[in-house]
Amino acid sequence: MHLKSIIDSFPFGKAPFILLVVTLFAGGWLLFHPIPENVATLRFWTFAKTHYNAYQQIAPVFEAKYPGTKLDIQLVHGDAVTTRLRSAFWADLDVPDLVEVEISSAGSFFRGPIDDVGFVDLTSWLKESGYYDRIVQTRFAPYSNRGHIFGMPHDVHPVMLAYRRDIFEAEGVDVSKIETWDDFIREGRRLTRLNERYMIELSDSGASNLEMFLFQRDGGYFDADGNLIMDDETAVKTVTWYIPLVAGPNRIGSDLGSGRVFTQAIEQGYFLSFICPDWRSKIAEVDVPRMAGKMALMPLPAVEPGARRTSTWGGTMLGITKRCENKDLAWELAKHMYLDPEELAQRFRDTNILPPLRDAWDHEAFKEPRPYWSNQPIGTLYAELADQVPSQYTSPFIATAKDKMSEVISACAAYYRAHGDKDFETYVRTRLKQAAEEVRTYMRRDFN
Amino acid sequence: MPTNSVKKQLLQVALYTALIACTIVMLTPMVWLIAASMKGPDDLFHYIFFAPRLSLHNFRQLFSDIPFLRFLMNSVFVAGTTVLVQLFFSSLGGFALAKYEFRGKKIIMIVMLATMMIPVQVLMAPLYELIYRMRLVDSYLGLIVPGAVSVFGMFLFRQSMLQIPDDLLQAGRIDGCNEFRLYWNIAIPISRPMIGAFCLISFMGSWNSFLWPQIILHTQERFTLTIGLNQMVGLYAQEYGALMAGTLLSVLPVVILFFLLQKEFISGLAAGAIKG
Amino acid sequence: MTMQRMALFRLQRKYAPYLFVTPFIVLFLLFGVYPLIKSLVLATYITSGPKSHLFVGLENFRFLLSDPDFHKAVRNTTVFAFFSVFLQLPLSLGLALLLNRELVKGRDFFRFSFFSPHLVGQVFVAVLFSVIFIPQFGLLNRVLHAVTGLALDTKWLTNPSLVMPALILTSLWMYVGFNMIYFLAALQAVDRELYDAAQVDGASAFQQFLHVTIPGIRPVAVFVMVLSTIGSFQLFELPYVMLGNSSGPEGAGLTVVMYLYNNGFVSGDLGYASAIGWSLALGVLLISLVQMRFTGTWKREE
Repeated sequence: MHLKSIIDSFPFGKAPFILLVVTLFAGGWLLFHPIPENVATLRFWTFAKTHYNAYQQIAPVFEAKYPGTKLDIQLVHGDAVTTRLRSAFWADLDVPDLVEVEISSAGSFFRGPIDDVGFVDLTSWLKESGYYDRIVQTRFAPYSNRGHIFGMPHDVHPVMLAYRRDIFEAEGVDVSKIETWDDFIREGRRLTRLNERYMIELSDSGASNLEMFLFQRDGGYFDADGNLIMDDETAVKTVTWYIPLVAGPNRIGSDLGSGRVFTQAIEQGYFLSFICPDWRSKIAEVDVPRMAGKMALMPLPAVEPGARRTSTWGGTMLGITKRCENKDLAWELAKHMYLDPEELAQRFRDTNILPPLRDAWDHEAFKEPRPYWSNQPIGTLYAELADQVPSQYTSPFIATAKDKMSEVISACAAYYRAHGDKDFETYVRTRLKQAAEEVRTYMRRDFN
Repeated sequence: MPTNSVKKQLLQVALYTALIACTIVMLTPMVWLIAASMKGPDDLFHYIFFAPRLSLHNFRQLFSDIPFLRFLMNSVFVAGTTVLVQLFFSSLGGFALAKYEFRGKKIIMIVMLATMMIPVQVLMAPLYELIYRMRLVDSYLGLIVPGAVSVFGMFLFRQSMLQIPDDLLQAGRIDGCNEFRLYWNIAIPISRPMIGAFCLISFMGSWNSFLWPQIILHTQERFTLTIGLNQMVGLYAQEYGALMAGTLLSVLPVVILFFLLQKEFISGLAAGAIKG
Repeated sequence: MTMQRMALFRLQRKYAPYLFVTPFIVLFLLFGVYPLIKSLVLATYITSGPKSHLFVGLENFRFLLSDPDFHKAVRNTTVFAFFSVFLQLPLSLGLALLLNRELVKGRDFFRFSFFSPHLVGQVFVAVLFSVIFIPQFGLLNRVLHAVTGLALDTKWLTNPSLVMPALILTSLWMYVGFNMIYFLAALQAVDRELYDAAQVDGASAFQQFLHVTIPGIRPVAVFVMVLSTIGSFQLFELPYVMLGNSSGPEGAGLTVVMYLYNNGFVSGDLGYASAIGWSLALGVLLISLVQMRFTGTWKREE
């Protein structure tokens, strides 16, 4: 009764009264839970949960090594890293001191005058300290622009093939006899039952699998000088070869999605194998724990006998922002995280990611047999492939090129489903040409 | 006439069958959402709807791993403030436009009507530039201020206040009320049904808005639910359970407000439609 | 003393309306009119964030005409608007007709359950449906597989030709009940005597619908149609969130507003974003005018 009379004496009535009360409450709550002051000497953004979990252990060690410093490591959405960081650079907003950027968005930060790039040029630091020569060279390519290195490579990301060892053995597949993709496809046709079981997880709509095959054949989106090459002969050949694997009656691959869906699909034996760069082997361990001991890794089949048995998929750079106030300390942190052999060994145990610093691979952590992977020493396996990892070059237009390549994949898959092999290569060539022309349209518009 | 009553009964059955079928289609996603948010990670895809063992795991994860409570408070604060400010300015302006003659009134109305025809997205780029110059990027103010005026609300209140008899206002003046008192003590209480409807519409607009917060927010601590949840999709893609629990909790406040204001809302909508 | 008070009273009466509209007008000028004019100016620049501008005259509009992605966005958005409006309206009207029968008990319950999806904002609907549409394990495929035998691994959100149907389906779920409210109100406002008169003349139920109901609800129907069309052309959150902050496979979920967002706030070209915004505004205005012309909304007022 009392409350009702209070509400009635408020001229706006019930609804605004309720809103007023809740808003005041929320405002009060926010007042008592202020956004924590930035007391950290160094703020660090990463977009990968596996990295984030691993870096948690670094903070206390580093803080003990440099008394008075305080690290703040934050997990941020991948889109936020690109979109928000870029717009923070424009708007002079507070940005973190160190950022990990995903390989496909790194290029977009190098747009415009070289002085406007928001990251510090690391070239002299890397060269003077001698680290430049100790790191796998091909990994600098994606993070360099106009002769400046803006990012330190986090990884090598060689690719292997992960497979359900139990099912392969039961079906009599001898992986040591699989040397080329032709061998693999032959076995795949035998084991695939459409809509029930596929030899391999491969996407018929996105470009992320295809680009790995492009790199394996020394193709890609851009060459070292930033020219678009996504419609060259290598691309035509690769796409023409790839589509029948994921479309049409003889397909051996399909794709469902990540996370829980992937878990379920592997457990049920819906996929017998999947493309597995080092980082993804950790994801499998976390997402599909019940398959421990039933999984194993093999080198990627080669395009032709004797050719490269790996490729690359993904990558991350570490950049120091120009607004960072303790650049020397940031460099120390970068070294501690990316170049300290002890740290790297521990990190490998946590993330399975092979660091680009060669000397680090001698550590015993890389030689340990892994029960999940049927006791294979996966560090050694990946490290043996590191020297064969192809370069991947980038450009501010990499995202556009990727989108267009995905369109090509979908369109070619649709064509192949409808028409089969008839004029397929011609179609692929025209479609790639068209997509590349569209990307060039945007490249020409760039005024900077 | 027996045949007629049989026919009538058959019609009745058909009608209810159709209605119930539609209800099932419309409610299933929501029921599934409730079920999914209460299933453990292993049960999520094993059972289509509810699992035999209910689990609060998702909600626990939501509040411990993710600053969900903070997103919720941000949303409540921003949406609540926006609605209240809009309500005050729109009703005050609407009152002036409805009950006074003054210079420039015509022009104001025409300009407002014209801008109503233009999709808000046209304004996004210059607004961002403006907010950037005002140093309000990544702030609550930057979220609230550009949305503080509602042309729609202004017209809504003008429309309903036109019906206030002039004699009533005149009587108030004779009693010595100043003009603001007339607004506060006469115009506003009369418009309460419209205020209820306006509050719900405006609250839903602000609560569900995505594009503008997505453009100007940077700091996770200031994220509203829409932005926070979208971020969760990327970061916790495999945690469908927590995602569904978060969605459920994000929808709940609007549903509660709707139940409180149902009558005003439906009649307000209908009135708007008939007049429009 | 009293004279002074009287004068003061008269003064406040004279200036009150100006004081009342001032806060509104100031904010409206600052955040409504100024950006509107500014966006016309911005549209003649290429920018890289809010700091660096390059004047290009009408180049942005010229580029729009030859921009393949913009064309795709327009195509997608138009297809979405067309289907969602023309599937929505008959369904909404049908539901309203069902509910408008006097025999219906529990009308409030049905009305609420039809309307309830609209309470869920687009972002939340998008999150919910992105899980419902999952192949192999998602709710929709399981149900459809059981009922119609549709392949369990139908990939609604990764197969380019299924993205649009998925979006339209979702928007139907969201808006059918909402539009029904308008139709229901309109139906209830139709004069009962008109039906009685038609019945006396021996008109069948269908004839009554054609000659009494349809003319009676026409203004509301036009209102709903124009409003849903405008709303459909502003589609953004639903595909953006549902397709994981992307335009989906083959850009099948790219809409005009998404393209505006990507250009302005991901690539930083606020100028081009303004140009896209203005072409959206013009397009929407044109379509609304055509709709009103076709449905004879003007003729009756002339």
